[in-house]
Amino acid sequence: MTTTPSPLATLAAEHGLRQVGVRPPLRRYLATMWQRRHFAVSLAGSKAYARNQGNYLGQVWALLNPVLWALVYLLVFGVLLDTSRGVENFIGFLVVGVFMFHFSSASITTGSNAIVGNQGLITSLQFPRALLPIASVLAELVTLVPALVVLLVLVPLTGEPFAWTWLLLPLAVGLQWIFGTGVALVCARLVSQWRDVKQLIPFVLRALMYVSGVFFSIDHYVGSGTAAAVLSHQPVAVYLELVRGTLLSEVALTPALWGWAFGWALLTLVLGFIFFWHAEERYGRG
Amino acid sequence: MADRPSLIVDDVHVTYRTYGGRRLTARQQKTWHTIGRHVGAVDKVRAVRGISFVAHHGESIGVIGHNGSGKSTLLRAIAGVLPTESGAVYADGTASLLGVNAALMRDLTGERNIVLGGLALGQTPTQVEDRFDEVVDFAGIGDFMQLPMRAYSSGMGARLRFAISSAARPDILMIDEALSTGDAEFRRRSRDRVDQIRSEAGTVLLVSHSMSTIRSMCDRVLWVDGGELRLDGAVDEVLEAYAEATGRPVARRTPRRPSAGPRTAARASEQAVAG
Repeated sequence: MTTTPSPLATLAAEHGLRQVGVRPPLRRYLATMWQRRHFAVSLAGSKAYARNQGNYLGQVWALLNPVLWALVYLLVFGVLLDTSRGVENFIGFLVVGVFMFHFSSASITTGSNAIVGNQGLITSLQFPRALLPIASVLAELVTLVPALVVLLVLVPLTGEPFAWTWLLLPLAVGLQWIFGTGVALVCARLVSQWRDVKQLIPFVLRALMYVSGVFFSIDHYVGSGTAAAVLSHQPVAVYLELVRGTLLSEVALTPALWGWAFGWALLTLVLGFIFFWHAEERYGRG
Repeated sequence: MADRPSLIVDDVHVTYRTYGGRRLTARQQKTWHTIGRHVGAVDKVRAVRGISFVAHHGESIGVIGHNGSGKSTLLRAIAGVLPTESGAVYADGTASLLGVNAALMRDLTGERNIVLGGLALGQTPTQVEDRFDEVVDFAGIGDFMQLPMRAYSSGMGARLRFAISSAARPDILMIDEALSTGDAEFRRRSRDRVDQIRSEAGTVLLVSHSMSTIRSMCDRVLWVDGGELRLDGAVDEVLEAYAEATGRPVARRTPRRPSAGPRTAARASEQAVAG
């Protein structure tokens, strides 16, 4: 405020030139993001598409991949091992858990790499950087769609009757997607500022896998009490429970569960976005 | 000066971090400091150290200097893709940077890259669709358009990237060595495109090691040395000084083409004095 502007800065102001490479105000940032939304969608689609293009069967793998995973679980847990771990429809429970947990963990992994892994794009084009983590998670959502189709075929095969709650599946997945986007925004900035954070992410994800009830019911193993309450209210477990609730009759969909799901989604998205935007002008620095 | 400036670069410094290695002095290499090569191998590179200049509408400016002198970094800072440490860049309108490595997606076909590149530059899906055929024609790489970009030769990649970046009609187009891999026909086309952008009152910045390219396409030259601006002036003046300092022969003067725009060397040198 107190320093006098340089003569060149005055010249720029006289002719109405706009300074480049500075963080735009939040409102304008959002407006630019909205204007470039087609780029994020197209980038996400292209990434999801390119993933399967490097072989002969190509896009057939988008569907074949979840089918094979489901077959492995069917074979191991439906034929070879006889476990139920306190769950009636264990195969349904397990496959939904594994697919949906993979969605979250893949969102976080690719999202955390969104800035450092796209330096080529960043150092050649000017666009709101938040579009990169958003597009990464969107690519995971696109990849998830065939897996959801597999779930919708597999779940009735395990003896689950159709219920009206199935119609809520897109909403549940959507909330989980929003949550994943928020976390990806946070991780993308952290990794771009401190590269070492990237090394820690796999450990955090593995720990999350064991405490979120992917393979077992939290209630059955941990019981009740503070530990169980914390474990079952953390976001990853909440979304697993929510998606299971829409597809499996034995998992109850309570208003409280929806409340937690909405709350976590909104909280992580808003905080994650603001956290990411705060370092906007620094993302090219390597 | 009556002309409106299109680009003002005000005492810009650019520093970036690089991972995976670190520069040590000869002395440090004999002490425990060598551990810095294995742990904490992060170094800071001060690539641009205080450059200022003013560019105007319709100007075409060449940027010369040794490898590693900070030319590309300067262009990136101007494009707003690399943050400045201090100083500021002011621009009138959109800037588009065309580099050799401007990474489009290697695993995707040329067609998909045209769409993606256009959207990234801020075009709407309808604009991209409208210009699609024009980009395809300009790139002129035939049915390779349907193959992934990793199958392209470097010249074909350069053609496609140039076609995509210049189709957006940026107000400021920066070309970083991107013309060096093309063949004669492509160079002629790109020269026409650059002239067209200048005639629409755009500004062109061109990094090149080819003195003949600079001579035929620019009317003002910046010589960047060690991250600083060594000389800023008319083409002949700067190229001669550069050749003298580097001991390289000056490229033979070629007459400028008549379509090169209204700006003459005399006017360019007048600006150089003022800027």
